Amino acid sequence: MMLKENPSLCYQCAKCSTGCPVSKEMDLMPHQIIHLLSLGQRDRVLRSRTLWMCAGCYACAVRCPNDIDITTVMDELRSEAVEKGIPCPHPEVLEFHRNFLKDMSRRGKVHELRMMGEYNMRMRRPFHDAAVGAKMFIKGRLHLLPPSAVGGFSRWMKKLWRS
Amino acid sequence: MAKLMSKVAVYPGCSLEGSSSAFQTSLKGVFDTLSAPWETLQDWSCCGASSAHALDHKLHQALTVRNLALAGQQGYTDLLAPCAACFHRLASAQRDVEKDSEVAKAADIPYDGQVRVRNIVDFIANDIGMAAIAARVKRRLNIKVACYYGCLNTRLPRTAQSDDREYPMAMDRIVKQLGASTVDWSYKTECCGASLFATSGGVSGKLVGKILKDAAACGADCVVVACPMCHNNLDTKQEEIRAQAGIDRPLPVLFLSQIMGLAFGLPESVLKLNDSFTPVGALASHG
Ligand code: SF4
Ligand code: SF4
Repeated sequence: MMLKENPSLCYQCAKCSTGCPVSKEMDLMPHQIIHLLSLGQRDRVLRSRTLWMCAGCYACAVRCPNDIDITTVMDELRSEAVEKGIPCPHPEVLEFHRNFLKDMSRRGKVHELRMMGEYNMRMRRPFHDAAVGAKMFIKGRLHLLPPSAVGGFSRWMKKLWRS
Repeated sequence: MAKLMSKVAVYPGCSLEGSSSAFQTSLKGVFDTLSAPWETLQDWSCCGASSAHALDHKLHQALTVRNLALAGQQGYTDLLAPCAACFHRLASAQRDVEKDSEVAKAADIPYDGQVRVRNIVDFIANDIGMAAIAARVKRRLNIKVACYYGCLNTRLPRTAQSDDREYPMAMDRIVKQLGASTVDWSYKTECCGASLFATSGGVSGKLVGKILKDAAACGADCVVVACPMCHNNLDTKQEEIRAQAGIDRPLPVLFLSQIMGLAFGLPESVLKLNDSFTPVGALASHG
């Protein structure tokens, strides 16, 4: 798969990694990801925890002196890793996204209560953050009933995915 | 006031219709007070944030362009997305449409590519304007505010931006119209962890701890945000996070529209300050 960004533009100043709020949680820092890509070590990058710890904050992307949109590179690599079936080092993140998209595609909108409930079940931790959920529910911020469905949404999704 | 010839639709997004409805009701109250029109985009659907772009670029494009196309078909020139994540997703799709007209076909709905995606802070600061805000203040707020912009409100690569990416001031300027003062601090645009808060609470909690600690150290009475995710992350587990980070006092978290509404004298039924976990009560009677 071709990346939309060109990693060869990078001169390894590491400004991206310096400003990254989660670089401490990463096995490869953003500037190392870009460096490995320009060396052709795609496989190593695709297996890294970094893709799943990136918060998508765009600090790296707007600061890169060579205008490399590193955040979008992270998105592309993550998608590629999933497509290639590479084992995900942070299944709690992958499952969150999958579950979000499943919930959203039912009606075209997210039903938060159901989404978070199903996510916790998938992760086999039914009482995770239960206190926060309960307090939200008492405050009337979580609705039992899903939002009204967007007219024709599932038909639209199906049609689009066939093409 | 809104510019001549522009017709603005509001894109609420899932959070504002759900757990962050306080943002929507308070914002609508503020718009009503300022006589700014509030029309909701018909048939809007989820933009896919935080997950479509993370796993599936094609899905992200389809979901975002669908809403842009609807706005165009319904005769709107501008699409205002109060949620920072929705704003970022929709605006990046619009940027891609402008660079490559093929992207406009992503949703399989005719789209002429002409809709402007608008950010809520920018809209209030520049379209509504400081004079209109100042004119509506009933009760000047004698408090110190840390304006927290977070990441997605100000960081859209490869676009012209009206405010500074590293040290934005638009929210500060709005808050100062209300009589409040704002603090100079270092974590204005540091990320709170976004959806990592739901998946990897420990990682996100550390980021939130640093943000709150700096706000407290700078003497802020509260933090003001313009994003449902920022609000959720800074507020809902604050007690636990403050204990870990060693912050000795609570920092109420308010939406920009809530603090504006406080100064405009809007009622709790609209402001929904009690929806927050960290009590805002004492602050509300300040000033
Ligand atoms: S900021 Fe840009 S140029 Fe510098 S190391 Fe990161 S990717 Fe390379
Ligand atoms: S977008 Fe990801 S890699 Fe870039 S600074 Fe933010 S968390 Fe780090």
